[in-house]
This record gives sequence, C-alpha cells and structure tokens, in this order.
Amino acid sequence: MTDTSVTFERPPAPAADGTAVHVRGLRMSFGGTEVLHGVDFDVRYGEVFCLLGPNGAGKTTTLEILEGFRPPAGGRVRVLGLDPAAQGARLRQRAGMVLQECGFPRQARVAELIDLWRSYYPDPRPLGELLDVVELAEVRNTQVRRLSGGQRRRLDFALALAGDPELIFLDEPTTGFDPEARRRCWAAIENLRGLGKTILLTTHYLDEAERLADRIAILRAGRIELAGTTHEVAVRAGLATRISFTTPSALRRGQVPLPDGIDLTIRGPESVCHTANAAMTLRLLLAWAAEHSLGDLDGLAVAAPRLEDTYLQLTTGDRG
Amino acid sequence: MSRTVRLAVRQAVLEQRSFWRSAEYALFTFAFPLMILLLIGAANVGSHLPGTHIKNTTVFVPGILAFSVIVAAYVNLGSKVAVLRHDGVLKRIRTTPLPAGAYLGGLLASTVVTALSITACTGLIGWLAFGAGPRAGELLALAGGLVLGTVCFAALGLAISSVITSAESAGPVAYASFLPIAIISGVFDPTFSGLPAWLSRLVAMFPVKALAEVLQNAYAVRPFPAWDLVNLGLWTAAGTAFAVWRFRWHS
Repeated sequence: MTDTSVTFERPPAPAADGTAVHVRGLRMSFGGTEVLHGVDFDVRYGEVFCLLGPNGAGKTTTLEILEGFRPPAGGRVRVLGLDPAAQGARLRQRAGMVLQECGFPRQARVAELIDLWRSYYPDPRPLGELLDVVELAEVRNTQVRRLSGGQRRRLDFALALAGDPELIFLDEPTTGFDPEARRRCWAAIENLRGLGKTILLTTHYLDEAERLADRIAILRAGRIELAGTTHEVAVRAGLATRISFTTPSALRRGQVPLPDGIDLTIRGPESVCHTANAAMTLRLLLAWAAEHSLGDLDGLAVAAPRLEDTYLQLTTGDRG
Repeated sequence: MSRTVRLAVRQAVLEQRSFWRSAEYALFTFAFPLMILLLIGAANVGSHLPGTHIKNTTVFVPGILAFSVIVAAYVNLGSKVAVLRHDGVLKRIRTTPLPAGAYLGGLLASTVVTALSITACTGLIGWLAFGAGPRAGELLALAGGLVLGTVCFAALGLAISSVITSAESAGPVAYASFLPIAIISGVFDPTFSGLPAWLSRLVAMFPVKALAEVLQNAYAVRPFPAWDLVNLGLWTAAGTAFAVWRFRWHS
C-alpha cells in the first residue's frame, strides 16, 4: 500500500538561534492561580537538558505545554521551530514523549507493541535496534502486563524513540524506582544521548540531573532560579569549593579558637567551609591546625561545588 | 486515506490478539449469552407465542443475538475505552501522530469482528439446540441488522465511556445502564407482558427492543420493522454526537 494522500514534511532547518526548544516569558494559570510566572530557557540541539525542581514546581505543566497538550496563558514557546499549541500534529511526528505513568495495552507483547508504534511514523528506527537501545531484547515476546516497572519505563523509551525523533521529552523518568532499575534507565538514556538525540528531562532527583544532564535549569515555584551547566549553576548559586574535615575534639570542646579569615561551620562531627580560593584557605587551615597541635586534620577533603549544595541552599532559602 | 485504513487494520489486529490472549475475558464474553441462550431457551422449548403458531424459541434466539451484540459493542467497548482512558493508554496514543480516526476505527472494527463472532456462535448453537434459524433468504438482512446494531451500540458505548469516571465502575455502569431495559424489553422472555402502557411505550423508545425486533424479523414473519430501523438510526446519530462532543484523551 503506497501512501499518496499524506505527506510528511521534511524537518525545517534548525532555528537560526540553534535551539531545539525556545521558551520565553512562559506563563500558565489554573483557575485564576498562576503556576508559571514567566519561565525562560533554551535547549540546544544534541544536549541533555534537565528541568530540576521539587514536586509542584511546575515541571510537568511546562513539559505539557511544550508537548502541545496545553496552550500557555502567555509567553513564546518554540519546539523544533514549531508552535506546539498550533502545530501539535507536526510536532508529534518529530518529537518522542514519555509521560509520567502512562498505561500500555496490557495484553500486547513487547516487540509487537514497538512494531505497531513504528507503523505510526514515516521513517521509524529498526525494531532490533530499539530493543537493544533499551535492553529489552530478552523480553521481546513477553506481554506488557508481565514486565517490571523498570522494564515498562524502558518500553516507554522505546516507544518514544520508535519514530526516530529529533527530540525526546522524559517526564520524571525514574521516579519510584529501586537503584538497579534507575541504573538501567540511566543506561538507556545514555544510549539515547549516544544516538545524538536532544533530550529534555524533568526530575526532582539531584543525582539524576548531575549524572545525565549537560545543562540544568532549577525550576522552583513557577520560576527558573538558575540555569547553566552543573558547575556554572553551583558557582552562580554563590557556592564554591567545599573543604571539610573531622571536627577535632579540642575544637568541639571549645578549647581551640576558630581560625581567622575562614568561615568555618561546625556541624557536629564534621567541620565545613566554602571558599572561592581553595589553596589559600587550605594554607590558612593547616597553619591554624599546626598552631593548635591539631595534626594534619583527620578526614580532610576538598570537593568541587556540587549541585546538591546549590539545591539545598535554594531550598533552605525557601523556608527562610 | 489508505494510510488511515492500513493503520486502523493494524490496530484492529492488535485488539483482536489482545482479546483472545485474555482467555478469561474472551471466554466469559462468549459464555454469558450462550448460558442464557441454553438455560432460558430450554424452558421455552415446545411453547408458542400466545395466539400464534410462532415457536417461542424462534423469537427468543434472535433476542439473545441482540443481547450478544449489546454485550460485545456497548458493554465491552464502553468499559474498555473507559479503562484505556483511565490507564492513560489514550493519552499515550495522543503523543503519537496516529490519526484519531485510525485508532478509533481500529477499535470499532475489532468490536464488529467480536460481535459477529459471538452472534455467529450463539446463532449456530441456537439453531442446533432449538432448531431456530433465520428464514430462508433473510441471512443478508440478519447480517445487516447485526452490523447496524453493533455500530449503534458501539457509538452508545463510546458515549457512555465518557460518563464513566473510574476504571472500577466501568463494568457495573455499562451493565446496569442496559440490563434492566433488556429485561423489560422482553429480550430474555418472549412472552413477557403486563407492563403498564406508559412503561411499554417508554421501553419501546430505547434501542434494545428495536434491535431485538429487527433481528426477530429475520427469524419469523412480522411486520416490516421500519420504526425500529429509524429508532436505531436515531440512537446511532445521538450516540455518535455525544461521543464526539464528550470524547477526552485523558481522564
């Protein structure tokens, strides 16, 4: 059966600004309550971009607008150069979408379902390759209802990838999974990245964002708090290198004065300071330790700024 | 157009495979009308409609065919779509470029196949057990009536699926909304009578009795069921309009 009535348009050239997803001033309201207050971010072609934030921050709402499921209340949104609200049908040919907790036809078998999904697209990826990317080749003839949660999520990925999309949306891909299932999901996402796909994922797990994302944006209470690479975000949050050591008992008992010129915090068994100049701070610390006969400072550790610190700092600021 | 049809056929094939893979579901969908056919049919053997030479079973068997169509099209399709919506399967379909018509057309085609299989099975066993078969030359009219009935009740099934708000209530709502009408329409009892006149007139407005009479006409000589055909046509139109108006891809 040849098809003449439906034409699949060639993807237009990437937008001049080279972004797969372009969001400016995005606003959204539900029943008079504004939940997105002007969100701005860009996702570049070929990168893994993570929208990170606590539950209720507006991550899923943002994604649903980008996927064309909801029209925004305001702002400008372009996905692969298309307006999702007006050009949803064309967008769905070129973007794969993994929604949160979305059911399957339960009696279908894995390979059969992927094959059915392939028939929806003009230029699908080969079945065997899809099974390999998500590591489901061994269960290809299993009915979906017999799959584990982690396997179902990887089947989600396979279905989203079936049409060989340029862009894949993943909404909280590993929420509720045990460590092994998460690890395999991450491996599958790394495989998607390896195929050169642009990926926009949401998560409230810091380790997930840190592990997978090229760039992240922290969304909190309907606003982007920070955006950039993991390192940039940490630095822009005002955090710096973290130096920590086991709190010497003399210090804990107050027999030793705190060092001058260092913002040292004693957190029970651990003492911590943050600094923009690690070398200088270390010299000061070690000199102070020698002066007070504290030795080489047990458990001394120097760590580059981490996303978790940034995130905790933002969340703590929330309560204050 | 051909692409939509091809995709609808693929969808229908998957639906049929899934139906037969859930053996329990398939078995009971088939067994329910068959049990009623055999149990109640046995009680009617040898009786005639009052004041006629028409055997009870000649009217009863096509009544059970109507019942089979309603179970396959209205109950099964209606509750299935409600569950698909509740489980997010419809929403998942919405993330793909599959045309809505191809998906729903596939579900409908699969429903027609199921309904015709059940009615063929029920009709054959009714013929073997009670000697009640369609009149010579009326087989085509019977098939037409079955297809019309299936389309009508499938439209009503899609309509009711939008009213059902939870997966748990899908089956009960679908059954409770037609079984009482089927009973007082005389589907299970060809001699059923004694309703107040106003209730008789009310029941006659529903499509259950209309479908039963259209099918009965293929079995026993009766006045041409013109009004029944109009009735089914109107309910098909109303069901389709409501289904289109209220259809949602997610709960």
